[in-house]
Amino acid sequence: MNTNPYQPWLATIDDIQEEVGGQRAIKTFKLVFQDKNIQNDFNFLPGQCTMVSLFGKGECFFAISSSPTQKGYIEVSVMKLGKVTSALHECEPGDVVGVRGPYGNSFDVEGWQGKNLVFIGGGIGQAPLRSLINYVVDNRKEYGKLDVIYGVRSSKDLSYKQEFAEMEKRKDVNVHLSIDVEEEGWKKFVGFVPAHLLRVKPSPKNSIAITCGPPIMIKFVIQNLEQLGFTEEQIFTTLEMRMKCGIGKCGRCNIGNLYVCKDGPVFSYKQLKNIQGER
Amino acid sequence: MVDERQLRDTVKNTVSRDDVKYVVGYKNGTYGFQVTPAFAFSAEDADKFIFSPLCVNNLAVYPMLEEKLPLRKGEEEDTRKIGLVVKGCDSRAIVQIIQEKGLKREDVILIGIPCTGVIDPKKINAKFPHQTKTVDVKEDGEKFVIKVNGTTHKISRDELLFEKCKHCENPNPVICDILIGKEVKTSKKENYEDIKSLEKKSLEEKWEYWEKQFEKCIRCYACRDACPMCYCKECMVDQLSPQWIRRSVNLSENTAWNLMRAFHLAGRCIGCGECERACPMDIPLTKLNKKIEKDVKEMFDYAPGIDAEEKPLLAMFKPDDSEEFIL
Amino acid sequence: MDRFVLSKEKTPKFITEIIAKYNVFAPVENEGITLFKQIKNPSEINLEFSNSKVPPKALLFKQTETLFKFTPGVKGKIDPMDTNGGKTVVFGIRPCDAKSFAILDHVFKGDYEDPYYLTKRENTILVGLGCTHPDVNCFCTSFDDGGPVSAEYVDVLLTDIGDKYFVEVKSDKGKHLTKTMNKLLIPATEKDGKKKNEVEKKAVDIITRHTKTDGIVDKLDKIFDNPFWKNIAIKCLGCGTCTYLCPTCHCFDIQDETTMSEGARIRVWDTCMNPEYTLQASGYNPRPERMNRVRNRVYHKYNYYPKNYDIIACVGCGRCIDNCPVNIDIIDVVTEAGEVKV
Repeated sequence: MNTNPYQPWLATIDDIQEEVGGQRAIKTFKLVFQDKNIQNDFNFLPGQCTMVSLFGKGECFFAISSSPTQKGYIEVSVMKLGKVTSALHECEPGDVVGVRGPYGNSFDVEGWQGKNLVFIGGGIGQAPLRSLINYVVDNRKEYGKLDVIYGVRSSKDLSYKQEFAEMEKRKDVNVHLSIDVEEEGWKKFVGFVPAHLLRVKPSPKNSIAITCGPPIMIKFVIQNLEQLGFTEEQIFTTLEMRMKCGIGKCGRCNIGNLYVCKDGPVFSYKQLKNIQGER
Repeated sequence: MVDERQLRDTVKNTVSRDDVKYVVGYKNGTYGFQVTPAFAFSAEDADKFIFSPLCVNNLAVYPMLEEKLPLRKGEEEDTRKIGLVVKGCDSRAIVQIIQEKGLKREDVILIGIPCTGVIDPKKINAKFPHQTKTVDVKEDGEKFVIKVNGTTHKISRDELLFEKCKHCENPNPVICDILIGKEVKTSKKENYEDIKSLEKKSLEEKWEYWEKQFEKCIRCYACRDACPMCYCKECMVDQLSPQWIRRSVNLSENTAWNLMRAFHLAGRCIGCGECERACPMDIPLTKLNKKIEKDVKEMFDYAPGIDAEEKPLLAMFKPDDSEEFIL
Repeated sequence: MDRFVLSKEKTPKFITEIIAKYNVFAPVENEGITLFKQIKNPSEINLEFSNSKVPPKALLFKQTETLFKFTPGVKGKIDPMDTNGGKTVVFGIRPCDAKSFAILDHVFKGDYEDPYYLTKRENTILVGLGCTHPDVNCFCTSFDDGGPVSAEYVDVLLTDIGDKYFVEVKSDKGKHLTKTMNKLLIPATEKDGKKKNEVEKKAVDIITRHTKTDGIVDKLDKIFDNPFWKNIAIKCLGCGTCTYLCPTCHCFDIQDETTMSEGARIRVWDTCMNPEYTLQASGYNPRPERMNRVRNRVYHKYNYYPKNYDIIACVGCGRCIDNCPVNIDIIDVVTEAGEVKV
């Protein structure tokens, strides 16, 4: 194990999946640690994140979008936005990057056993949720009813198309996809995710709702969840901030006295309501 | 001496106008010889405004520090004016910013102070160290009258004045809306003596001199943030793509930073000396800026911040310029 | 605690003996500014100073630290750095700056130990110099512990009691340092001890600026949204002088710096006063106004840090007050915050 928490391990990009093209492209990178022992010891739970380095460009904090039940590799879904992410998008399979982690807290997969789970994702916010959804589906018997609500701008912006297609075929998972604006050929719901949530109308009884997406979407989703009867302790979200160290030392990602990299990124709505600090 | 009552009345009248957001001036600081910027949002706030030879800050930095946040639904942009108390040098900064279209003349209301020179905080703190209580300084002819610990001292102006004030050619604000008092007559001329003596040194001597200074730099950017002319939305030193100056703090990068900032101020620096005053490591930054100011004067016969109608020197090209092309 | 006296005559020899075995950093004055620099000769030291411009945190938490080197690009090769700085003594550190290390320890320890700071910290011995003449903006006495002549956070403390120093050897590290010095260090008498107490009382009396830190954590909880913060922050220039000169500020940036063939990941001091500090790639900034940033800084020191580690992250050294170009005064801010009506 590395005694130097700033020094990454080396990992090779095994595969790159293009999820969304265009200006705000999204790609999913499959990373395999060069050292087999590290790969085996890299134990994480859904919700946790990792720092991926492109040597010479910098590092970024990404949510691990693959489930820990998928062994032998980890996946991160990256939107092309700044210096490091653009350089990552130029990479090819075989390229070597640095990885350190896993960091942060996780979704309470143990505590939520037996509960009904409602996942509400928008855009790239689906990445951390995907880890949780795949974990829960791989341990299907442990959990109750599953509702996956996922909305994007247009059908071109839909990520994880293959996985959703397979999930829709399952009888034990309810998948609700939506796009913001009408499109020819799209037969499913058209409208914003918060509105879709009200249409799906999940019951708050014995349920946990987890949401992730643009800040404006999270705001209205939480509003609507409360309208449907969900309490603050039943609503969870995962946040992002500008980060540098990822281990709670550089002082940048704090919301009040909590650090998003260390005490988060998963927070309950109850926690967020009671903490003073800009977010 | 400035009539403080007239100043306060003017501030009161200005801030009471419907089209004025607030007025920035000076008030007594929290200890010793400190003076701090004061913001009046209402007529009562104007009572704490002062003007004394200790008022060194260049308040022209504040209009550009206003944050323009995204507007909420139905919210309209607050386009009210800002009132500023300005000395001669401060007003030149405003003129220069207006020349560069950073501000419109209507955006500011300038309350002008005819300045007889301000005291260098380093000099007065060296003479009367460890002052906890606020000290009063008044002018009496060619002397400063300072009451410290019950004793009154009379010190010659020359001993305490800022070096920049000793050669000031613009003690009166070059533009203003209201002048507090009568204009000051001056015959002072900038002769660049200290620059000429540095110019005479050999290349090795000059490099040795500046190496010693830039080694001290801690890249706090107080010089940049105190300077009214440094108002770029993204400063070149913060840029990453491309990166002009590395973030490492060492002699090479510090030299690059200080020299590049001086060059970005070529033809724009109005010589207020705030950079040097703000620098915690006592780096003689005004020497860099004054050298370039001297070169600009000699090459182009131009002084920045005098006429708001003029075009900024290094942003224009005239057909009768001696060079054939902008390079 | 062992107590000795060291005559001022013998002090250069004391220091020379230490230089023989350790890297010694001491206050060196140059053109009016005192900084902690490495010395080879006791004559380089200047002990007639109130405090150094840049705090000695720069010795353990260096302004620019190379984390590791690498080959730039996608071939992946890392060259780790040796984090050991060698056995070090910081001579002449003031009790407030020594306290700052105890505060910074919390950040750099924890679940992930920072080897760059911690190896240096372990290998550094602090020989403190008590303050006989605190400066105008010193307010170390406003906190629960510490004080101008406090030996609480140093390994050895020297206090000037006239023609000699009163020497308190506190910790194992201090004992280890002084064990070969029995010719120079003479056991202190009761009279010496009394003199030290007199000097301490005099120093405490010189400090006239105070603020009330009792209950500040709870009071700050109540006034987060108070318009009071806008008035404090409106004159802030956003420079970063206060953060770089503060002995307890620890924010940093991590950057990759490369040439064509070589690269290094470096850690540099950063300042939360910079508007881009929390700017996200999407363009969203949770702290867009100076009000947010100034408030965040005060809360970090007087509310968030105490909540996490039970200690206020301010030692009362007064450097921020001395050097702020617009006279934002933390003593006044905390006092006014305590008096704001809820």
